[in-house]
Amino acid sequence: MSAAAPALQTAPEPAERSGAALLVSTLERLGVEVVFGYPGGAIMPVYDALTGTSLRHILVRHEQAAAFAADAYARRSGKVGVCMATSGPGATNLITGIANAMMDSIPMVCITGNVAQGLMGTDSFQEIDILGVTLPIVKHSILVRDPADVPAAVEEAFHIAASGRPGPVLIDLPKDVQVGKTRQDFGFHYPNVGSTLDHDAIAAAAEAVRAAERPLIYVGGGVKIGRAVEALRRFADATGIPSVSTLNALGSIPTDAPGTLGMLGMHGTRAANEAVQESDLLIVLGARFDDRATGKLAEFAPHARIVHFDIDAAEISKLRPATVAVAGELAPGIEALAAHLAATPLAIDPWMIRCQSRARGTAARYDAPGEGVYAPALLKALSERAGDEFVAACDVGQHQMWAAQHCRFARPEAHLTSGGLGAMGFGLPAGIGAKLADPDAPVVVIAGDGGFMMNIQELATARRYGIAVKVLLLDNSGLGLVRQWQQLFFDKNYSEVDLSDNPDFVRVAEAFGVEAFRIDRRDQVEAGIERLLAADGPCLAHVIIDPRENVWPLVPPGKNNAEMMEAS
Amino acid sequence: MSETLHLNIDRADGSLQRLIGLVERRGFHIDGISMADMPSDGGSARRIALTVRGRDDSRCVDTLGRQIDRLYGVSRTAPVVAFQSEAA
Repeated sequence: MSAAAPALQTAPEPAERSGAALLVSTLERLGVEVVFGYPGGAIMPVYDALTGTSLRHILVRHEQAAAFAADAYARRSGKVGVCMATSGPGATNLITGIANAMMDSIPMVCITGNVAQGLMGTDSFQEIDILGVTLPIVKHSILVRDPADVPAAVEEAFHIAASGRPGPVLIDLPKDVQVGKTRQDFGFHYPNVGSTLDHDAIAAAAEAVRAAERPLIYVGGGVKIGRAVEALRRFADATGIPSVSTLNALGSIPTDAPGTLGMLGMHGTRAANEAVQESDLLIVLGARFDDRATGKLAEFAPHARIVHFDIDAAEISKLRPATVAVAGELAPGIEALAAHLAATPLAIDPWMIRCQSRARGTAARYDAPGEGVYAPALLKALSERAGDEFVAACDVGQHQMWAAQHCRFARPEAHLTSGGLGAMGFGLPAGIGAKLADPDAPVVVIAGDGGFMMNIQELATARRYGIAVKVLLLDNSGLGLVRQWQQLFFDKNYSEVDLSDNPDFVRVAEAFGVEAFRIDRRDQVEAGIERLLAADGPCLAHVIIDPRENVWPLVPPGKNNAEMMEAS
Repeated sequence: MSETLHLNIDRADGSLQRLIGLVERRGFHIDGISMADMPSDGGSARRIALTVRGRDDSRCVDTLGRQIDRLYGVSRTAPVVAFQSEAA
C-alpha cells in the first residue's frame, strides 16, 4: 500500500451524552412527533433534554390523560403513542391508561422516571416499583440500568409495542441512568419479520366456508390493528357473507354497508345477535370472544363451527375451541382465504336475504315522542353531518353504547372507544390525542356527565394548545348505565348514581376559556350540531337528556344473546 | 391434574415475577418450581421447571403455554403443540 493511499475511514467516536439526551434523540430518530406527559422530580433530566428538540410535548393536567391521549393518538395514527411521567404518583397515575392500551392492543410506549438505583428498594421519596405494579397490564417492560442501554431499550420498546399483537411497553429510567454519561449512540435495528401463511389451515378454512349454509364474519379489533380493513372489505364483498362487528371493530366495514348487521353482544343489534345464534360457521377475524360480545359463552353461536384467524395464537381456542385455527397476520390470511373461494360463488343467497331482511325489519327507530333531546337521533345526525372524516372519541357509559349503535362510521379509526377496560374519563383526553394525530378531521368527544368529570381538567390542555376538539356532553344528571342496571336488576334501588348537583358545565368550560353552549330541546339539535362542528377552537355542547332513557336492546348479564330485552 | 412446563428465562428485571404472575393470574396453582443456572449461556438465562394445576376445569394448559410464549425473555424448551384443524 502506497503512502499516498487514503487512510481507512473510521467513524469519529461519538460525543459523551447523558441517558436523558440519548432517550430524546432516540425518540426523534424513531420518528416520534408528539409526546404527552407531565414532569416531576425523577424525570427532570429528560424534561431538560426535551428543550430545543423536534419533539412536541403536550403538557396534560393529569398523567392519566397523558396515557389516554397517547393511546388515542396511536389508535388514530397507527403510530406508537408516547407518554411520560415522573416516578411514584406520576407513574401510578398512568396505570389506568396503560391497562386501557393493554386491553385494546394499542401500541404505546410509557416512559417513567424513577429514583436513582441506589435508592430503589429503600422506600425513598416518590419511589414506586412501577415495573412490578404494571406487570399484569403491559406487553413488556424494561428497567434500564445503564445509560449505554438507553437507545437499545427504547428501540426494543417501540418494536415490541408495534409488532405482532400491539400493546403498551413501559420503560423505567432511574434518575442516575438519565444523568449518567455514555458514548453509546445507537441501539439495534429490528427488522420486520414476515409471518408465514399456514396454507393447510387456509385450505381447511376455505373448505369449512364452502360447506357452510349460514356463514357469518365476526369482525374484531384486530382487523383495524392488523391493517386488514381492505382485505376484509374485498372478502366480504366478493363472497357476500354477512358480518357482525365487535365494539372495537365498528367501521371496519362501513356501518351502513349492506350485509353489515351491526354490533353483536350485550347492546348489539337483534340482527347481529340472531344471525350469530343461527350461524353454522363463524369466521372470526381478530376477535377474542369477549364476554360482552358473547353473552353466556356456553350458549353462544350454538350451531357454529369456528374458523379463527388471529395474530395472537394465545387467543385461539382460549374461550371457544376453533375448528380451524389460522395463527398469523390477518391481511394475507384473509386474502388467501378469498383466493381459495374465488372460483365459484357461495350458495348462501337464502341466508343473505334472511339476514338482510331481519336487519331492515329490526332497524332502530328515531321517532321517540316528546320535545326533549333523543340522544340516539342526535348521535346519528351528528355522525352523518360530520361525514366520512368523522372521528368519535367516546367516554364510557350509555352515550358510548348509543354512539356504537347509532353513529355512522365509515372507517374503524372513526370510532375510538375504551372497549376492553371500559375506562370512564377516556373521552376528552382521547379526543385531544386523536385531534393531534388527525388535525383536519372533525373529532368529537362523546361523553356523559360522569366520565367527563373524571378528566375535565383537560379542557385546559385543549385551550392551551388550541386543539379544536369538540365535546358533545350528554348530561342525564347521573350514572345512566349503572342506574339502568339498578332499575332492571337491583329492584330500582338507585344507589349512588345521582349527579343532579353537577356544576353548570357551560360556565365551567367558559372558565377554562372554552366556547360552550347548551342544548335543551330537540328543535335546537340541528343548529347545535352545526355550531359545534363549525367552531374554530375547542367547543362544548352541553346537551340535557332524559335521565330515564335506557340503552336498548340489552342482553341481561349471564343470558345468551338471543334473550334480548327491548324497551317496554 | 398437574402438568410441568420447562422454560428458559432471561435474567432481566422482573422476569420471574412476570412469569409467576402470569401463571397465577391466568388461573393456575403452582405446585412446584425448580430453577437452575445455565452456565453454558454465560449465566444470562436460567432454566425453570414449573408444575401447574388449573384452578378449575376451564383452565387449559395449552392456552397458558401460548400466553407464556407471548412473554419476552421466556421460551419453552418442550415442543409447542400445534393447532389441529378438524377435517371439514
